[in-house]
Amino acid sequence: MNWMPFKIGQPKKQIVSKTVERDFEREHEKLQKLEDQTKKLHKDMKKSTEADLAMSKAAVKISADLLSNPLCEQDQAFLDSMTALDTAMKRMDAFNQEKVNQIQKTVIDPLKKYSSVFPSLNMAVKRREQALQDYKRLQSKVEKYEEKEKTGPAIVKLCQAKDELRPVKEDFEAKNKQLLDEMPKFYQSRIDYFQPSFEALIRAQVVYFTEMYNIFSQLTDQIDEAGLTDEQRQKETEAKLNELRSLSIVADD
Amino acid sequence: MQQRLSSAAQHSEDSGIKRGDLSSLQLIQDFAEAISIMEVSGRPNTSPFKLHKSASTPLRYSGAVKKVAKKNQTKESGNKEKDKQVEYDNASSEEETAEDLVLKPTTDSSELADAGAHRISLRLPSEDSFSEETLVSEERLAEEAKKKNEEEETAAKERQAQRQMMAIEELVQSEKSYLKMLQICTVNIRNSLNNLQPPPPDLDSLFLYTEEVMNVSSRLLSKLEQKQLKPQNPEFLENLCASFLSLSSEIEAAYKEYLWNYNHVSLVENDYKQNEALWSDIIKVVKSAAPEVNATSLSFFLVMPVQRIARYPLLLQTIQKHTDPSHPAYALLEQTANTSIALNCNINEYKRFREVADKYKKTENLTIMDKINRLSTHSIAKKTARFSQYIKHETGMAPKLVDEEFDTLEGFFNILEYGILVLLENVETYLFHLQRLLECKTEEFDFDMDGEKAPICYKEIHTALRQWILPMFEKRMRTLIHKPLCELRDMLVGPKNLIRKRLHKLLDYEVIEGKPKLSYEEQAVANAYKTINTLLLNELPCFNGLALQMIWGMLGTFSCLHRDLAADMEQLFQGFALQLPHSSCHPKEFQEWVETAVLEGARNLDILCQSVQETLNSPVVQPLSPSCQRLLKHLTDKHGSGKIFQVTNTVVGTRDFDLTLTKGEFVALISEFDTRGDKRRWLVDSGAKKGYVPSSKLIRYHQAAEDPPPSPFLPTSGNMMAFRRHSCIPDPQLIHVTSQPLFQVVAAYDFMARGNHEVSVRAGEPVRVLESQDKRGNSEWSLVEARGQRGYVPSNYLTRMPVGTGSLAPPLH
Repeated sequence: MNWMPFKIGQPKKQIVSKTVERDFEREHEKLQKLEDQTKKLHKDMKKSTEADLAMSKAAVKISADLLSNPLCEQDQAFLDSMTALDTAMKRMDAFNQEKVNQIQKTVIDPLKKYSSVFPSLNMAVKRREQALQDYKRLQSKVEKYEEKEKTGPAIVKLCQAKDELRPVKEDFEAKNKQLLDEMPKFYQSRIDYFQPSFEALIRAQVVYFTEMYNIFSQLTDQIDEAGLTDEQRQKETEAKLNELRSLSIVADD
Repeated sequence: MQQRLSSAAQHSEDSGIKRGDLSSLQLIQDFAEAISIMEVSGRPNTSPFKLHKSASTPLRYSGAVKKVAKKNQTKESGNKEKDKQVEYDNASSEEETAEDLVLKPTTDSSELADAGAHRISLRLPSEDSFSEETLVSEERLAEEAKKKNEEEETAAKERQAQRQMMAIEELVQSEKSYLKMLQICTVNIRNSLNNLQPPPPDLDSLFLYTEEVMNVSSRLLSKLEQKQLKPQNPEFLENLCASFLSLSSEIEAAYKEYLWNYNHVSLVENDYKQNEALWSDIIKVVKSAAPEVNATSLSFFLVMPVQRIARYPLLLQTIQKHTDPSHPAYALLEQTANTSIALNCNINEYKRFREVADKYKKTENLTIMDKINRLSTHSIAKKTARFSQYIKHETGMAPKLVDEEFDTLEGFFNILEYGILVLLENVETYLFHLQRLLECKTEEFDFDMDGEKAPICYKEIHTALRQWILPMFEKRMRTLIHKPLCELRDMLVGPKNLIRKRLHKLLDYEVIEGKPKLSYEEQAVANAYKTINTLLLNELPCFNGLALQMIWGMLGTFSCLHRDLAADMEQLFQGFALQLPHSSCHPKEFQEWVETAVLEGARNLDILCQSVQETLNSPVVQPLSPSCQRLLKHLTDKHGSGKIFQVTNTVVGTRDFDLTLTKGEFVALISEFDTRGDKRRWLVDSGAKKGYVPSSKLIRYHQAAEDPPPSPFLPTSGNMMAFRRHSCIPDPQLIHVTSQPLFQVVAAYDFMARGNHEVSVRAGEPVRVLESQDKRGNSEWSLVEARGQRGYVPSNYLTRMPVGTGSLAPPLH
């Protein structure tokens, strides 16, 4: 009967109804998409906080290197400016660090935690799939023996197959039911789960930029010429550069 | 002819070739012809005086010639070659001689002083056309003076006044025509050149400083005309001098750049000449723009400022010679003349400095081959001398020439350079990280949380952030800080090279410093050192100051950019933060809420994970075959439940005392290592045999699985009932005999013995299992005793019946 090899293990009886299977597939796809997105967001968040930190560290280095440059020894006013700049940069960095810690705690860690659930869910899906295969295999075996003549050994084998089938069937049904139950629940949980993270993220930034604005308003008042537009600045720089270029000791081009 | 000759002579003198070999009259004549043609073409407003003649002119002239010639004999040898060159120059282009003049104003002025009255009288009319008239009248007056002394004096005064007036007029007129020519050049010619297809390359650099020169010239003229004085008025001269003096610094500034650029202009023009088509176009343009002059090149116009600046001293001195020392403006005039000479000197100095600077400030990009090719005995000697001098400094053998001012400047420059480089590097790092931040597309996620405020806000914020706030910040950073900083860095090269070169020249200089008399070359070395040193002393403070200011300004800008960024960001975030569900919460409350929420979420996830793992990952419990169960029981009894392990993969023994086990078999652990202490081989009891098994193939068997008894044969299906009916003939004796009080092994199916080592059993017949495997350890066969007969039956024909069911049996029995 089973002359086509790939037909082996394919029971004639419909084990899982098509709707169930479709529901399952849909839930599973949703989860897979969610997993991808979570991982991506986790990665991006991590990268962006890293870049953010690196940026403020670079800014600190700008001022620290200038402050340690002997240039400052030559000019008290310059030294004052650099000290102010350095203080501001360090404060900014401290606030940034705090912000990043906060984000780590309220956003990145939860994201990581959330994505750590997926492997066990996937494993469960895999187990269900295995169970389904087992179930199908045994089911087709039972069917095979049922079709055979009811001789003694055949009956023995049929009984054995049925015995084997039962726990497998129960196992599959339990798994199937649980997954169909758990997957939508888990998917739904993302809303309550991530809502606080995003709020915290936005608020952490608000706090940080408020502080940063204060710091740099003060600093700008202290060391910058007030109220210049970019064009004016550019013109001024260009004028200075031209002045430098006009010196005979400066090599042109 | 004579008239031409005289004018030519004047001209040749004027052009700085008075040491020329004038004894050759024929030469002069030829030359004069050439010059006069140029004169006529070059000066459109020739005066009517030109036609006057005087018989005495040649006499005077020959006298002058003699005097000059005499003078020349002394330096003839040195000058002959030069003279030839000069003649050549004069014949070919008037401009270049004028340029020569600029290069040697000091020598000119000294020679001016040497030259006697003749020269002055010769010079007086200069190259202007009314020269003839003056000469004529002068001669006539001189003759009359011999007769009448009194008349002579008044007449002389008159003549003086007239000459003075003419000289002044000459200055003014020539200035006007000069300006006019320049205007023609810059406006007409330049525009037409610009319209050429394709426009000549580098055109703008030709006219780089003409604007300034014209500006200063026109200002001079307007100052002269402002007061509306007649040249005859003594105040006119005063005004002229005052105007010139007041503008002198501007004249200097304008002309020095122009003259400096003129070298470049010549180069560019030569380039144009290489391209014949272009050059003929240019000539056409020049001719059509200024048809009244016979100009044959661009430099005909462009050289004019070069000539002009050198002519000021001559013109002024001419005026001075013809001015009575009692004239009210005499002192001022003298000052003006001196100023104009000083002006030329300054310009020359400036040019020299620029040349030295240009020579050394550029970094040479030489390959090793180039360097090797450059080596010569001279250069090696030079380098060795420098090196030895350097060693002497370092070892303290020779005192170093200390210039404290310079050392301070150099020190400042060095730290400035270091500061700029470090700053640039840091700014680049900063920008790099900013770029990285921009690359993080954190808003591009899809959690399918459309109805939720927070993620939507977050997405919008970050889109805005990445689309315009941060890019704008980056752009401002780049244009306002990074770009100028790069340019500043590039500018460090020139001073750096000059400082290095200065040290080299210093080393050279120190060697020759003590010598009382310096050779020509040594003089050049000393000059080079002094020039570089002066140059650096003059300009380095300016450079340092400006660079420091720039850094300072940039940091101010940096701060300002941060402030603006923070302001934008704060506004953006704040705007969205207000829309959030918890926006009214106090930060602290919010903090607590978030933390508890996050913890809560984590806990829920944990619970979920656990439940998934527990229920979904539990293994399927397959029913155990009776023989297995029996074996399990046997092992459990013997070794205790904790020691039971199951074989995960089929093991094939390869060594002595190794066991060969199939998957799923049970073993009991005896020891966790073999005789040699190898923990990977465990000594186990498989029921029949004891031996070693790789520990990796064993897994602990959970007895718990037995707790809910697998009970595969519990009567749940109809089929099973049929079997049960058969199994319900328990033999109480046999039950008694079995080692298992709870279970009785019975034959599940009929089995017919096929040989004398097998035994026939009927379904339901109780049997006693003696061995659960055959002699070869094959567990498919069991040795049983049934009805007193011993023999093998297939193990899977046997089954266990709980004894409890036996008690239910009697009704069926």
